[in-house]
Amino acid sequence: MTKGVLVIARNNSKIDYVKQANWLAKRISKYLNLPTSIITDNAAYVNKHYPNTFDQVIEIPNEENYTHKSYKDGMYARTNLEFKNTARCDVYELTPYNETLLMDTDVAISNNTLANCFDENNDVMLYKDAVELSNWRDLSEFEYISPNSIDFYWATVVFFRKSPVAKILFDCVKHVQQNWQHYRNLYQITNPVFRNDFAFSIAVHIMNGNKKGNFIKQLPGTLYYITDRDLLIEETDGVFKFLVEKKDSTGYFPVKITGENVHIINKFSLGRYIDEQS
Amino acid sequence: MDDKLKAALDFSNYMITLDNQKRVLKEQYQNNLIHYFGGGRFTATQGLVSFVQSLLQLEQTSTVLVDDNDIPIAVEDLQKFASDLVSVYFEATNTYMTEYNKLKVNRSVEGIFND
Repeated sequence: MTKGVLVIARNNSKIDYVKQANWLAKRISKYLNLPTSIITDNAAYVNKHYPNTFDQVIEIPNEENYTHKSYKDGMYARTNLEFKNTARCDVYELTPYNETLLMDTDVAISNNTLANCFDENNDVMLYKDAVELSNWRDLSEFEYISPNSIDFYWATVVFFRKSPVAKILFDCVKHVQQNWQHYRNLYQITNPVFRNDFAFSIAVHIMNGNKKGNFIKQLPGTLYYITDRDLLIEETDGVFKFLVEKKDSTGYFPVKITGENVHIINKFSLGRYIDEQS
Repeated sequence: MDDKLKAALDFSNYMITLDNQKRVLKEQYQNNLIHYFGGGRFTATQGLVSFVQSLLQLEQTSTVLVDDNDIPIAVEDLQKFASDLVSVYFEATNTYMTEYNKLKVNRSVEGIFND
């Protein structure tokens, strides 16, 4: 039974997701002792800059119908960039592993808790709950995909085992993606930009019989996150220091967290940090 | 800025930071209490620790326990499971206390952040 981590990295004009993937792969090797494979639309770039990092480099076609979205960099900067996020539903077919931990490139792994998912009997696991580090924000958008709607699940980290159930889930996600406008209307999602979190949430809801259910178990451990309005300041041996936006947006306050997995949604801040380390 | 006002604002920043770090520690504590066993996961609550000890007192050597995901898990060696569960409980609780005490003695934002 082969097992490993899979990341998708498709650079846009400002954000080097491949660089983030390289950084993450080293942490995965250190904390989870697992190989990492990468799905990318530019294998030549990966092989040139990071020839020894990845177990396998899987090339997919360049995405032509990408959308745009706003990327923030702390409280004061934002930019509109290409958003290439349509390959996630193909991962079931693309993965080289029997048991795969699919991750965003901006998840900072700092412990081995996620390794427990390979021992559990569940063929698919996601995070439904994640812990935000500000302690004041309205997080309803991460509880339900829209007001009065269904439970929100994070597609940031997905564990799946090659199995009929996992295949059905990924096929269902693909179906939701292909019929996004319909499902967007059905679930009253106001933002037109396709999001994998929403597609997975809808697929889970469908597979639960269009009701709340327990088909999906939560991944082991806790996923913490900072938003793109917060900043990563430094990290040493799994001790992360962040500046998090204050409630009244008059500045930041510091937050420190040790030995936990953190989803660093501010891609620019993460990119600067990685550059400082190299 | 008036010194008294500055002191009050500094204190409010300290309280925001302190409260948030306390919340993070509590989350970590809950996470550290989880014992992964036999493909299941068990939170080492005082209730579960006591229940397992009760089974041992009743001279049970194996049992079936329902885990946090409501999945029944066979425990063949109950003595070892109990011992591991207690270890997880003590390690998590002692870590929580150590980190909490470190936090408590820091009286500034800088102290909390840099300790």
